[in-house]
Amino acid sequence: MDEIATDSRIGQPVRRKEDERLLTGKGCFSDDVNLPEQAYAVFVRSPHAHARIRSIDARAARAIAGVLAVLTGEELLADGLKPLPHVPFSMHPAEIRLANRDGTPLFSAPHYPLACDKVRFVGEALAVVVAASVAIAKDGAEQVAVDYEVLPAVVDTLAAAEPDAPRIWEHATSNVCLDADAGDRAATEAAFARAVHVVRFSTQVNRVTGVTMEPRAAVAQYDAARQRYTLYAGSGGAVRLKDDLATVLDIPAAQVRAVMRDIGGNFGTRGMIYPEFCVVAWAARRVGRPVKWTCERQEAFLADYQARDLAVQAELALDAQGNFLALRSSNVGNAGAHPTNFSPLQKGVEIMSSIYRMPCAFVRARAVLSNTSPTRPYRSAGRPEVMYVLERLIDLAARECDFDRIALRERNLLRQAELPYTNPFGMVYDSGDYHGAMAKALELGDWAGFPARREQARRRGKYRGIGVANYVDTASGVPRERAEISVHPQGRVSVVVGTVSNGQGHETSFAQLVNEWLGVALERVDIIAGDTDIVKVGGGTHSGRGMRLISIVVLNASRQIIDKGKRIAARLLESDPSRVRFDAGRFEVAEGGRAVTLFEVAAAAERLGDLPEDLRGPLTAFSDETVKEASFPYGAHVCEVEIDPELGAVEIVRYAAVDDAGRAVNPMIIHGQTHGGIVQGVGQALYENCYYDPRSGQLLAGSFMDYTMPRADHFPPFDTHISEVPSTTHPLGMRPAGEGGTTPALAVVINAIVDALAELGVRHVEMPATPERIWRAMRAAAGTASGNSSTPMPQAQ
Amino acid sequence: MYDFEYRRVGSIAEAQAALAGGSSSKLLAGGMSLLPVLKQRLARYDGIVDLGGIATLRGIHRDNADLVIGAMTTHATVAASALVAQSIPALAALAAGIGDPQVRNRGTLGGSVANADPAADYPAALLALDARIVTQRRVIAAEVFFRGLFETALEPGEIIQAVHFTLPQRAGYAKLRQSASRFALVGVFVTRTHAGVRVAVTGARDSVFRWREAEAALAADFRPAALARLALPSSGLNADIHASAEYRAHCVQIMAQRALAAALEPPS
Amino acid sequence: MPVVSMQVNGQTVRAAVEGRTLLVQFLRETLSLTGTHVGCDTTQCGCCTVHLDGAAVKSCTVLALSCEGAAVTTIEGLASERGLHPMQAAFREHHALQCGFCTPGMVMSALAIVSRCGPDLDQATIRRELEGNLCRCTGYHNIVKAVQAGAAAMKEADRP
Repeated sequence: MDEIATDSRIGQPVRRKEDERLLTGKGCFSDDVNLPEQAYAVFVRSPHAHARIRSIDARAARAIAGVLAVLTGEELLADGLKPLPHVPFSMHPAEIRLANRDGTPLFSAPHYPLACDKVRFVGEALAVVVAASVAIAKDGAEQVAVDYEVLPAVVDTLAAAEPDAPRIWEHATSNVCLDADAGDRAATEAAFARAVHVVRFSTQVNRVTGVTMEPRAAVAQYDAARQRYTLYAGSGGAVRLKDDLATVLDIPAAQVRAVMRDIGGNFGTRGMIYPEFCVVAWAARRVGRPVKWTCERQEAFLADYQARDLAVQAELALDAQGNFLALRSSNVGNAGAHPTNFSPLQKGVEIMSSIYRMPCAFVRARAVLSNTSPTRPYRSAGRPEVMYVLERLIDLAARECDFDRIALRERNLLRQAELPYTNPFGMVYDSGDYHGAMAKALELGDWAGFPARREQARRRGKYRGIGVANYVDTASGVPRERAEISVHPQGRVSVVVGTVSNGQGHETSFAQLVNEWLGVALERVDIIAGDTDIVKVGGGTHSGRGMRLISIVVLNASRQIIDKGKRIAARLLESDPSRVRFDAGRFEVAEGGRAVTLFEVAAAAERLGDLPEDLRGPLTAFSDETVKEASFPYGAHVCEVEIDPELGAVEIVRYAAVDDAGRAVNPMIIHGQTHGGIVQGVGQALYENCYYDPRSGQLLAGSFMDYTMPRADHFPPFDTHISEVPSTTHPLGMRPAGEGGTTPALAVVINAIVDALAELGVRHVEMPATPERIWRAMRAAAGTASGNSSTPMPQAQ
Repeated sequence: MYDFEYRRVGSIAEAQAALAGGSSSKLLAGGMSLLPVLKQRLARYDGIVDLGGIATLRGIHRDNADLVIGAMTTHATVAASALVAQSIPALAALAAGIGDPQVRNRGTLGGSVANADPAADYPAALLALDARIVTQRRVIAAEVFFRGLFETALEPGEIIQAVHFTLPQRAGYAKLRQSASRFALVGVFVTRTHAGVRVAVTGARDSVFRWREAEAALAADFRPAALARLALPSSGLNADIHASAEYRAHCVQIMAQRALAAALEPPS
Repeated sequence: MPVVSMQVNGQTVRAAVEGRTLLVQFLRETLSLTGTHVGCDTTQCGCCTVHLDGAAVKSCTVLALSCEGAAVTTIEGLASERGLHPMQAAFREHHALQCGFCTPGMVMSALAIVSRCGPDLDQATIRRELEGNLCRCTGYHNIVKAVQAGAAAMKEADRP
């Protein structure tokens, strides 16, 4: 057996196993899969934000040579397909429930894979053309004549909530599809009544989209003899994709196989089944050939799930010393055209008070339907929005009530001795050193040296500002996960798990666990996750659940392997199991030094017919756990910006981050997660915006020509630090580390910008903080300062 | 993309012949604008005539007082050319800021000029430098070449061969990028020649234009202070999700000052 | 259909293509070189970057027929029997990839940066020169480090 590399254990920055494949062009992404005889699907999408489908005439399209089928919602219903099975809330036991304040049941509406009666957003698919080539399918799609009755549309969050707004679903009484209360209203009102200071803040958190660099793609085939579908498509997890596809096709799950290999990003918006995946599977059966669909980028802007889009009006009550007394807020989330997922709203409400001592709070949480693409969780779902609101409120309180920003945070930040702490919504924060994280971030960001840098910037004609933001994240998600470990006598260990990597490096970090506990070299460990013929259980990659849950089930299964192995080794070593110890991949009898390897034991298990039944055969073990505890990653970021006063252009000049991972399995990967998370957060704060025209409902930011992506030259190097205060709700002390980069980034960037411009009297700049918005904020403040009221207020861009 | 007949030609005469057939044909230069348009099926041609094989359309040389750049010369070549850097450094700097490195390796001067994108960089340079566009039929002054949104003075079948730039005494270009596309949100090219001062603005209207008030002010006093109190009226300027007309007008003024500052920098 | 021939990763290839066939389609579909990716339709993301006669281009915006007689290098053409190219190795060493989708284009752009700007690269230059490539996972931080280290390693190895 090879020398066991101890530099592959937990805590080591192990270089990734998957990289060689990906660096040499040998990855296998969804569009890299091709099946013999495959046909190609192109979707007919609505050019209107809201319209009734009067009729669809596909005769001309069907007449084109090479067009195999044109399928519409009518055929879809006739074939008995079902709506997409959306789960509107996180059902994790640690999380709060949102229910309608008037007791009415939650609104629901069927989301069919093709629009049947109406189209409800620009880009919604209503038909598919299947043809011998993509080009022919496009020719066909152009020939599908749709007679639309165009209806008035509404895209804006608050406008859609108005009672007289165009109604997205006729059977609803309004577009408000959820209206829930959370917290203690009476106590909150009493606290506000006795407050010395009340700070108010209203904002519209911009809508963004995931923009996985790999556009979605799927290829499906139907085996008529076995009545079985196989779908090759990237998602957050194979098992869920299989189950959901079976639901839509209305067949037993065993008749579906889902396969995914390399997945070019997820970030939440790709975590669920999509209409197109169902349609290609159904179309494969209809045409009797495999059917492939590859999303184009502009199509992705229209048809990928989008995210955020939250209108907030919030107030913070403080006493004379600056102690927080209460938080009150109205949060209105824009669900888009289909009520698919309210968990960002839910997750945002339940931790809106963050890691501050907040005696009481009350939030009215509403979700509203609109003529836009449906929204779903996107990196750190719901939390970046509310952390931004709260951290803006704190900075506003400091400025308007004359407190120091840091002192005000220190005064209210929970101390370690106060943990576990139940926040006003009932969430129980387990553990952490919140003060330590902020202090470290201030040190990394050289808060103390800022005045000198500001002075220096001023001499160069720039406004310079600094901001800080603390955060907490709720890591929950699907609570069940399973790992099955098999030790193969040929010298390999396979681990079957139910969460696929979307870039997080599971093949490496999960293998590190096996290296730690079974002493097996990394290159001998195979992580298997993306094929439902092998993987039976698994919740997928989301909500910081990958490593958090996999570590538990891999540990349990590893222990069983060792226990079984000891009994087999005892037989081989002619000793008693109690005297066999396991270390670094070897079973040895303590006193004699005689030893057998894990793989020799596995061979013996298969060879020796007289072993007890539970030891005979392949050396395998599984662990299937439902983990009811949530985890609460936290940290603090510090950001510094410079603003060009002539143009309003902002540049990020320094960025420091402290994120607590409890116990870091692979710090290199965690740093990488933080870097990427920061950029997604900054992207939202400064650049990204799914801009729908309020009149036409057209998506005007529908390509990379108009949707600004963060690029390399937008950023300085980052200074990231991993804190490791063990979590008390995880057996190994781990906290998820995938979302912390994003969670405070919105807040810290806007806090820094406002700090830079505060001397001008600028109170706030909305996201994305474009140069024009900053320029207008400066002009408006200058106009106010000089008593000139003619300066117009910023027009939302 | 709709399919088309692809023709690669080796000479202007061949290109002319290829265009002359009755069907609709389009010249392909670097393809950085044309191919994305075709990919989105926003245009349809029966034939595509690729100019990439005509060696005589590439190259940069001096012709007495003029700098002559062949139509098929890429942005990267212009950006890296010692001759351009020495003759009109602002033009080299402009070329170095078009698109991104990969785009600059394919995109060409002639293609950009013929396409006349309202936010392209080159039209500002051509107009400010009083350039002459040479085709196989005639010479067209930049002043009358750019006619509107994607509209030029080129006649059907007319092929740009080269652009002649008269060397200025001073020239500078400053561009504020639209953050997503990195085209010019506004770009301003300022020149001073023996004939006078020119200030050409791109990105702000449906076509490149001269800001006459700024030219007059700078003719009197070629210093940034001369522009400080000028304001370009916002009426008629482009407004989109990236910038209002008002902000664009403001940025034209700022970019004009920055272009002027660049023009005044001593040659390095 | 017209026929195009070119050198791809040192091998002469010849195939019939449509006029509209893009270089990236030729590479991925005709030659099954699926390491070159398509991430957008507006010539911006850079996932499809390859070298065409030594220069980095976006193969989604080049017609295959325009490459008649040209030499094309893709991500599949970099590693040798000796292992990863120093730039590929630097990407692995510095964790400059996560999902890996933008990675082939990033590596091809990185090599072009070294040939344009030389092996002694500062971070600001690298960030500026990477403007034609988008990444959604890494935040660019480690890509910039990797390009710098890869360029230095190439200088060390004197391997173009």
